[in-house]
Amino acid sequence: MQGPLIDTLARQGVTRRAFMKYCATLASMMALPPAAGRAMAEAMAAAPAAAKRPSVIWLPFQECTGCTESITRSHSPSLEGLIFDAISLDYQETLMAAAGHQAEEALHAAMKANEGKYLLIVDGSIPLGLDGAYSCIAGKSNLEALKEAAKGAAAIVAMGSCAAYGGIPKANPNPTGAVSVSDIIKDKPIINIPGCPPIPVVMTGVLAHFLTFGSLPELDGKGRPKAFYGETIHDRCYRRPFYDQGKFAKTFDDEGARNGWCLFELGCKGPVTYNACATVKWNGGTSWPVESGHGCLGCSEPDFWDAGGFYKALSMPADPLKMVANAAVVGAAAGVAISFANRGKKSAAKSAHETTTLADLEK
Amino acid sequence: MPLDAIPVVVVHSATNQIGDNAVLSGNAPVLLHEIAELTRKLLDSGESSAIDLRALPLTPADLDWLREALGQGQVAATLEAEGESTLSETICPGVWWVTHHNENGAVASEFIEVTFVPELLKAHPDDVRIGLEHLDLLISDLSNDSVST
Ligand code: SF4
Ligand code: SF4
Repeated sequence: MQGPLIDTLARQGVTRRAFMKYCATLASMMALPPAAGRAMAEAMAAAPAAAKRPSVIWLPFQECTGCTESITRSHSPSLEGLIFDAISLDYQETLMAAAGHQAEEALHAAMKANEGKYLLIVDGSIPLGLDGAYSCIAGKSNLEALKEAAKGAAAIVAMGSCAAYGGIPKANPNPTGAVSVSDIIKDKPIINIPGCPPIPVVMTGVLAHFLTFGSLPELDGKGRPKAFYGETIHDRCYRRPFYDQGKFAKTFDDEGARNGWCLFELGCKGPVTYNACATVKWNGGTSWPVESGHGCLGCSEPDFWDAGGFYKALSMPADPLKMVANAAVVGAAAGVAISFANRGKKSAAKSAHETTTLADLEK
Repeated sequence: MPLDAIPVVVVHSATNQIGDNAVLSGNAPVLLHEIAELTRKLLDSGESSAIDLRALPLTPADLDWLREALGQGQVAATLEAEGESTLSETICPGVWWVTHHNENGAVASEFIEVTFVPELLKAHPDDVRIGLEHLDLLISDLSNDSVST
């Protein structure tokens, strides 16, 4: 591959206008001002595709392969896919043809040939219990494999909530002692791309950023690229006007639900969840959870499994065990929830919300 | 399987039928002020701008309201590139409604652009050059043909 990216794309039948359109949409997803789309198109079109075809090594740890499933859905005929072609994916167990010793050789050859330069993608958490025996590949614990691969990496992408924050394996009582990548690796830049699974285009968008600007995107306090995780689900939710007006569905089949009112009282975690679902949507832009009538689970936030229940309003106490003992308090909290129907009361919701790390209500 | 093969029935409840009040948020009329402001800027400085409709809390009914209010002007262009895009001028010249669909036909992004001509409609000099090469080729074919006949 040589020449600017736009030439590479042109050879694959992608026109300049298709590319500009892609950039406009990408800017919208990244919550950037519309003018940024044009700036991105110019920068990306001119970027040399040849010099920067970085080696990417993808290691799967304690995971369900959902993240890989999600990413592969993004990219067969689409433009993101073509940009994805601009990398050299040297090791990915699910996608590669090689297996066994052959695969291990490919991994080590890629690590050696691109020492200090490759991008390491990790999905899944790393179990520390029983000396890491809960998850091994080729006789090596995930912990060992991560440390070895991290050594020569330019940067690490923690793909999905498990790699970024521990995810399902770390859910209480965390039987395997699962931890995140950043709990182990301290001396490399780490980009968290949480989500269960993450949105495909967020992954390809971060790669596009890396390829065109040669640098990593700006990150927020939880290690996520600000461009995609800069706003909450709630900020861009099309049901937001109903939240502001205090119109809430109370059950999944009542009048309010049929009218498309806000799902806050049915447990929507949109107000504390930073992700791009409300704009990017899922399945090629078909729909997204809230549009399908279900609240956001908060899957891109740390410890969302232990946040007190998917169907409990954010303003209710979070600890499910205490909930039983304090049934009377729960009733009171449910009453309070209704009065939270405006933005000004975000912090009130925060203090009513007991233990969860999700309660990151200040924007 | 096409999406409409899934038997989902939309039940229109009483409140839905009371009218648009049930789903209008009141956020759309405010946008008219912003569009007017951007139009003034276009006239004064020639500077184009855009509003990302996906970034605003608008219900589908709000979008319909806005679309209706701005109306359909004289120019409408369709772009076929990784899905269809439509760029149509509203009854206010210089105010364009731009909708990008993806390959599946879903709306990927939607903007109001305030500009004399949307950037996407203009041909890029590099592409014009490629067009010129093609024209030269056609012309040289022409003379080859006349030689052979
Ligand atoms: S609480 Fe959930 S459904 Fe309601 S406006 Fe916020 S994100 Fe949308
Ligand atoms: S709507 Fe919420 S739970 Fe669902 S995928 Fe998006 S961030 Fe995750």
